Amino acid sequence: MIVKEWCMYCGECAGVCPRCLIEVREISLIFNEEGCKDCGICVSSCPVNALTKEE
Amino acid sequence: MKLIETDVLVIGAGPAGSSTAKHAALNGANVILLDKKSEIGAPKRCAEGVSKEGLKKLGIKPSCRWVTKELSGVRLVSPNGTDVWMKEDIVKLPEAGYILERKVFDKFMAMDAARAGATIMIKTLARGMRKDFDSYIVSCESMGEDFEIKARIVVGADGPESRVGRWGGLKTAVKPKDMESGIQFEMIGVEMDDPDCIEFYFGSVAPGGYAWIFPKGDDIANVGLGIVSTQTDKSAYEHLLKFVANCPATKNAQPVELNIGGDPVGGMVKTLVSDNIMIVGDAAGHVNPLTGGGIITALEAGKYAGEVAAAAIKEGDYSGERLKEYQDICKEEIGDSFEKYLKTKDYMSSLTDADLDSIAKAFKDTEFENVSTSELVKLLIKVSPKALLKLGKLF
Repeated sequence: MIVKEWCMYCGECAGVCPRCLIEVREISLIFNEEGCKDCGICVSSCPVNALTKEE
Repeated sequence: MKLIETDVLVIGAGPAGSSTAKHAALNGANVILLDKKSEIGAPKRCAEGVSKEGLKKLGIKPSCRWVTKELSGVRLVSPNGTDVWMKEDIVKLPEAGYILERKVFDKFMAMDAARAGATIMIKTLARGMRKDFDSYIVSCESMGEDFEIKARIVVGADGPESRVGRWGGLKTAVKPKDMESGIQFEMIGVEMDDPDCIEFYFGSVAPGGYAWIFPKGDDIANVGLGIVSTQTDKSAYEHLLKFVANCPATKNAQPVELNIGGDPVGGMVKTLVSDNIMIVGDAAGHVNPLTGGGIITALEAGKYAGEVAAAAIKEGDYSGERLKEYQDICKEEIGDSFEKYLKTKDYMSSLTDADLDSIAKAFKDTEFENVSTSELVKLLIKVSPKALLKLGKLF
């Protein structure tokens, strides 16, 4: 996952991740990419479009 | 590795966590209250409205340090601009309230917890936990140091992220259709018709939610909206920019702060406890599904959670069965009322802009005596046959 510079670490993505793979720190996000099934829910829920999938 | 032992560990120092910590400590438990941030309460993820009654019921005295504005009315605005005014001098508004300064308020609540005897740890992140007989061991990290906290009861007050509950086996993941994406500017230069009234805007300005202007004194206001991402192709931010550009009150206003955050509006989570674990606040769905408001319910649920946790500690029984007392109280005092608001929200989401305009017109011609969220829904049922069909039995 690519986290854009304008991410505000609100944690909405972590709340909707069905597999609980996102750790939200005060000023960083850590994705557990290994367990990710590419459902894309985190990407579409972001209020400021700060997440994009790696190509 | 360093291991700290405690009776109750509360993860997250928002209103829910601080209230839990305070009431657990007041009732004799050893309590640690963690927050991952360097400043409790900042950044805010909230429109900052609370009811006066709610604070009073909890025995929290308003302070001039965190009340920015006392409100005296409500203005509801439909898509074509038809507005319905309800002011305290004409109608009774039992839910009338204050606009807070959350950055100050949240810190005050944490200070209350500290005064009650809780130990506060800021800039401390809980990274995971494992069961250890009749307790949990939580892995923590603070300023580069790793350590562990062993707690008989862990309370997840970690907001919409709600990871702690999931570590403990509770189903707190929020479905995308139940997560409201909130976004807000705090603005200067806001020109409201009446800066003592809060304003709500309905319809396609905010699919799945509504837009709001909450005055904070002088020409300052929180201007924001909540959308459900499954009901729109645009981001919450794009909706906000459009709203601010088109709303007469904000055409000359400028933002001084941007706030974002998820608001779980799917109703209360069914299971709030398991052995050695409880969840509270946004993490537990303690948010009114219709209004998205959750400060008072978080404080209230925190009180129940703290009291039950402390009692369980005294008895030496931290089983899910013992802690279920908290869940039962929450269901009765909070969860049951949310069911009907959830149905009302679903109904509201099904309305077109034209439906909303005609409802607003009917409301405008009605004389109100007493206005609360439930009274408004009752009136909605009166003026809309479709609402009667869907909601008639509930209110």
